[in-house]
Amino acid sequence: MSRLLVVAVLLLATVLSAVTLTVIGPWAGPEMEKFMPVLQEFEKQTGIKIEYKIYRAEDLANLLPAQFAAKKAPGDVIFMWASFIREYGQKGHILTLNGVLDETKFLPGALDAVKVDDKLYGAAYTGKVKPGFWYRKSFFAKHGLTPPTTWDEFVELLEKIKKIPGIKAPIASGDGVGWPLSDVTEHFLISFGGPELQLDLIEGKVRWDSNLVMKGMNKLVSLLKNKYFGEPTEWTLVLKQWWNGDYALYFMGSWITGMVEDPNDLGVFALPGANGVVFGADYAFVPKYTQYPEEAKKLIAWLCGPEGQALQVKQGGHVATAVGIDLSSYPPVDREVAKIIQGVTALPDLDDSIGGEFQPTFWDQLKLLWVAPDRLNDVIRTLQEKAPKK
Amino acid sequence: MRNRAKYVAFFVVPAFALVGIFVVYPVARTVVLSFLDSDGKFVGLENYIRVLSSREIINLEGLSRGFPLGALVHNLLWIAIHLPLTLALGLVLAVLLRNVRGGAVIKSIIFLGMVMPMIVGGVMINFMFDRNLGIFNAFLKIFGIPAKSWTAYPDTALLALIFGSVWLWVGFSTVLYSAGLETIPKDLYEAAQLDGASALKIFTKITIPMLRPITIVVVTMTLLWELKVFDIVYVATMGGPGGASNVLALQMYTYAFRAMDFNRSAVVAVLLTMSTLLVSLPLLRTLRDDQS
Repeated sequence: MSRLLVVAVLLLATVLSAVTLTVIGPWAGPEMEKFMPVLQEFEKQTGIKIEYKIYRAEDLANLLPAQFAAKKAPGDVIFMWASFIREYGQKGHILTLNGVLDETKFLPGALDAVKVDDKLYGAAYTGKVKPGFWYRKSFFAKHGLTPPTTWDEFVELLEKIKKIPGIKAPIASGDGVGWPLSDVTEHFLISFGGPELQLDLIEGKVRWDSNLVMKGMNKLVSLLKNKYFGEPTEWTLVLKQWWNGDYALYFMGSWITGMVEDPNDLGVFALPGANGVVFGADYAFVPKYTQYPEEAKKLIAWLCGPEGQALQVKQGGHVATAVGIDLSSYPPVDREVAKIIQGVTALPDLDDSIGGEFQPTFWDQLKLLWVAPDRLNDVIRTLQEKAPKK
Repeated sequence: MRNRAKYVAFFVVPAFALVGIFVVYPVARTVVLSFLDSDGKFVGLENYIRVLSSREIINLEGLSRGFPLGALVHNLLWIAIHLPLTLALGLVLAVLLRNVRGGAVIKSIIFLGMVMPMIVGGVMINFMFDRNLGIFNAFLKIFGIPAKSWTAYPDTALLALIFGSVWLWVGFSTVLYSAGLETIPKDLYEAAQLDGASALKIFTKITIPMLRPITIVVVTMTLLWELKVFDIVYVATMGGPGGASNVLALQMYTYAFRAMDFNRSAVVAVLLTMSTLLVSLPLLRTLRDDQS
């Protein structure tokens, strides 16, 4: 009897002492399915249980400040915008990760976005590249289309596509919160203003009504006025429509490879002349109010280390921020993406980096521009009002 | 007597404490915040001037160039269109369904819009006016009008939300008017009919005047809802495109949780509170008069 009691007490103690970490990330559906094997591997190796919760970054931006003010956090490892991590790290709500991560094992600059005065507030997980316009190889083959090498060829291609019966518009426009439109706009700014422009806009060193910005925006507006872009439609819905042939091109990040039926049918090209590409790393942090700081740091070190990242890129749709990940870890279609970004400057996402009031304004103003391209000057004026100023 | 005072204190103090902590203090704190800057310094009316002169709240350029007109003007437009429509439709539906077999079932169906969470309502409005899926475009197609996503364009986004929300809110006025109709004595109608009054005369001279107390409640509650409307706009358009469907409550949220500017947000909150108080006063006065 007493032996049974000891076993019961031991069992209870084991159950009570089991650590369960809560990881909060934005991925749902197919994206979540590709993230879960990574978490499961960590559970297997360490015995630490993990509960995954889905929160959009936009919702976390509302939730976390109030939670932090009450000295609470909804998770132990949270994926969030770099600008947010930097801001709340400086306010003392986030644990520093100096010493937890080997900074030399990351791509140059990969951790800069979450670093302030040598204090590292976040870790770079894998990233996604926004390489350009995706198309179905089978669609291009069927209609005798080829990826363009000059701007004129690009416009010719759009004109050809427009004439294909059954096509709603040559380029699909993803809507929703607003980031799909901002991604394509950034691509135009980088292509016609150069990679430096993106960095200068983030730091507020250049005005939105400057010639460099207007050059890219005018090119974009010329396409909008010619109805080469479709009406903004919810981005996952329009993804299906594009895949089914309602549109020929869709500007999207590399995660698209994990969202289509046959990734091998995917082709992608950047705007001719684009010397930079947005590389959006997913950043995670450990809030100061976690119950399990050591376990959370262990998880973040493993996730963002070579082992976790290699496992993630293997699932498809992700690009590693850690150095030394073997190319053979990538599925073939992601290797194509990796080739595109070779030799071009990797840049941070414009609105994610600026954050704050600018981000929703940028998204909202682009929605206006898409349906009323004549109002470019109004859009530029509003963006300049909300942009950071040096 | 002393015991009675103790009992009163026992029951009243907790309620007062709760109201004090959760209502009075936050309201007072919000009012104070609206007069401070981000460092906590008193700045007088500076925040109010800044907010009221911003294009997000009142956009005078919009008068000549179209939407956006500013969140405050959008709220006023909401009132100008939504209030008379819900009032008239609710009254007409209540009268029409009064003596119809199955009227209660129809009224229940109409009331469903009201029962549904407004967040869901916002999603449904988006669907209703969607280019591919929307019932509105399907209807217009009959007349050969080309389809478009009505919530995606600056000149139609706000109007689409307003008309969509009529569907959500009309159940409220219908149910209240239906209840009010039951309270009108039948002999008034019989006497009018004996005197040879027409149906229109009966409606304008008996029904409408007798429903005055109900009308005041419906108007007040609808006005309050229109002033604080947030969820529908947040879900359907997020105030866009380009701020064309922005409203005060959403702007308050944007100031607070996107710009992290709680002072400007407090200004909008105070303005909204003052507006709702102004709207509520006639109702309170009428209720007091009725009681006396």
